[in-house]
Amino acid sequence: MNALQLSGLITAVATAGIVVIGLPLAWLLARRSFPGDVVFETLILLPLVLPPSVVGYYLLIALGDAGPLTSAGVHLLFTWQGAALASTVVGLPLMVKSAKAAIASVDPALENAARVCGSGEWEVFSRITLPLAQRGIAAGTVLGAARAFGEFGATLMVAGSIPGRTQTMPLAIYDAVQAGRYGDAHSLVLLTSVLAFFSLLAVARLEQAGATTPAHGAPAGGV
Amino acid sequence: MVAPGGAPALMMDLRTRLPGLDLEARLEADREVLVLFGPSGSGKTTILNIIAGLVRADAGEIALEGQVVFRRGVPGAGRDLPARARHIGYVMQQYALFPHMTALENVAYPMGRAPDRLDRAARLLDLLAMGSHAGHRPAQLSGGQQQRIALARALAAERSILLLDEPFAALDAGLRDRLQADLRRLRAELDLTVLLVTHRLEDAFAIGDRLAVVRKGRIEQVGPVGDVFRRPATRGVAEIMGIRNLITARVASADGTALTLEWDGLRLEMPHVPDVRANQDVTAYIRPEDVKIVYPDRPLSDAVAHNVFDARVTSHHESAAMRVLSVQLENGRELEVRFPALSYRPIRLEPGDTVRVALRREGLLLLHSTDTGAGST
Repeated sequence: MNALQLSGLITAVATAGIVVIGLPLAWLLARRSFPGDVVFETLILLPLVLPPSVVGYYLLIALGDAGPLTSAGVHLLFTWQGAALASTVVGLPLMVKSAKAAIASVDPALENAARVCGSGEWEVFSRITLPLAQRGIAAGTVLGAARAFGEFGATLMVAGSIPGRTQTMPLAIYDAVQAGRYGDAHSLVLLTSVLAFFSLLAVARLEQAGATTPAHGAPAGGV
Repeated sequence: MVAPGGAPALMMDLRTRLPGLDLEARLEADREVLVLFGPSGSGKTTILNIIAGLVRADAGEIALEGQVVFRRGVPGAGRDLPARARHIGYVMQQYALFPHMTALENVAYPMGRAPDRLDRAARLLDLLAMGSHAGHRPAQLSGGQQQRIALARALAAERSILLLDEPFAALDAGLRDRLQADLRRLRAELDLTVLLVTHRLEDAFAIGDRLAVVRKGRIEQVGPVGDVFRRPATRGVAEIMGIRNLITARVASADGTALTLEWDGLRLEMPHVPDVRANQDVTAYIRPEDVKIVYPDRPLSDAVAHNVFDARVTSHHESAAMRVLSVQLENGRELEVRFPALSYRPIRLEPGDTVRVALRREGLLLLHSTDTGAGST
């Protein structure tokens, strides 16, 4: 697998993880209060501000020989799965932040109306909360995916930079520059920049559409 | 209004303490429109939310159609059915229509996965004259149209109990009249029990069978609308109902045919009231319409043969149909006087003028002696 394919695979797996883990967390933080919820949220958001090497160091310990996963027989160090895990951890805060804000902005009276109409909690979420928060959730997903794609530091710490196995695009660029292969670096940088640009453009589109749509009711046929 | 032998459609007896509200309420309603009336913040909406299962009470019991849906802190097996299992139709204050669904989809929502749901929803929309708006989103509808969609959605679940929170608040007068007529018709046709929250007394008269006055988390009085209005039980109810001319007095004598009240130096005569004794402190009131102006140059008619006093006009308002005076009596107390605009034309009634007023004997009424004295004066 070349660096682009590997990056694609790792980003896809990480994005799935970001959605599966991030959406319930966002709902929990937006709709429930529990002891320590602020501390819990802060811990989830910590990778946003920690140096990637620190996140990588924690993951190294968690995945290392003395870590819980290793004793359970799962060895992720220096595998693409380990890189995907690192990407998930750093991408998750962006999803949680965006989706939490979107879910919190859904009027709880609408959810209560659905309950009175006979809906259970899953139906309330899937038919009311999710459709009304979908722009924010989509924006969070794109941002999280983009961050996962660009992940460098933590990935380097836990997965190394093994060409064909764990060397993603950002690592390949670093490698190319170190080795003086500027031609390779140029094309990889250009490709990465284009991908990043279109991700952010998509987010901007989502946010713009969300802003022009009143919270109570999109006109029929709105984008 | 409880059917003989059957449990009432709705019974609740609750106590709960919420920030800013200490609620203690007992209510029964059965195949009628029971209006919860009171100032904002008195706990009316909270009562609806507790019945619907959206807010949990600290203690008490709720039974719907004879089934206990909530019981906590009282004898009997504890129970707390979630909102979805309580089978109630609820039109919330801002209607809470789902903005991402069309009117038709909103109305069909409570019908779950029934294959004929869209047909039934369309029929309900027709029933409320909203058929032509089936494909519109809530944001494209006016307040009155949204209200009718919300009502159709509440009816769609085919519940026998309907909770309505300020359903006429955002509507102009013509539309309000129409919707009230619709609601009365639907209530009778579908044999519903309706609990309607409002802060407008006109709504209570227009649509209510009975009235429950809610004040500071307590149900102060329940009864047929006209009765509660004519005979408020407490000073609090009287104030909420907008009753002027409250008279705090002491019973000077009670002889079996009449009461004489001592009111800060004036003596008032009024009809006999059972169980009221001399020297008892009472609160009486008189409607502004029952305070009459006495012509100085004419013999006293029966209507104004009692309780005649000198007074000074302190203010004077006039509309097309009514004139409203404030007059100050010899004992310093003020009364409001109301009469049709064409009455008393020959008498000068400008501020500062002196007039003679009569408090009609039969117009003087006592608040029920259950008054706890919680009033502000």
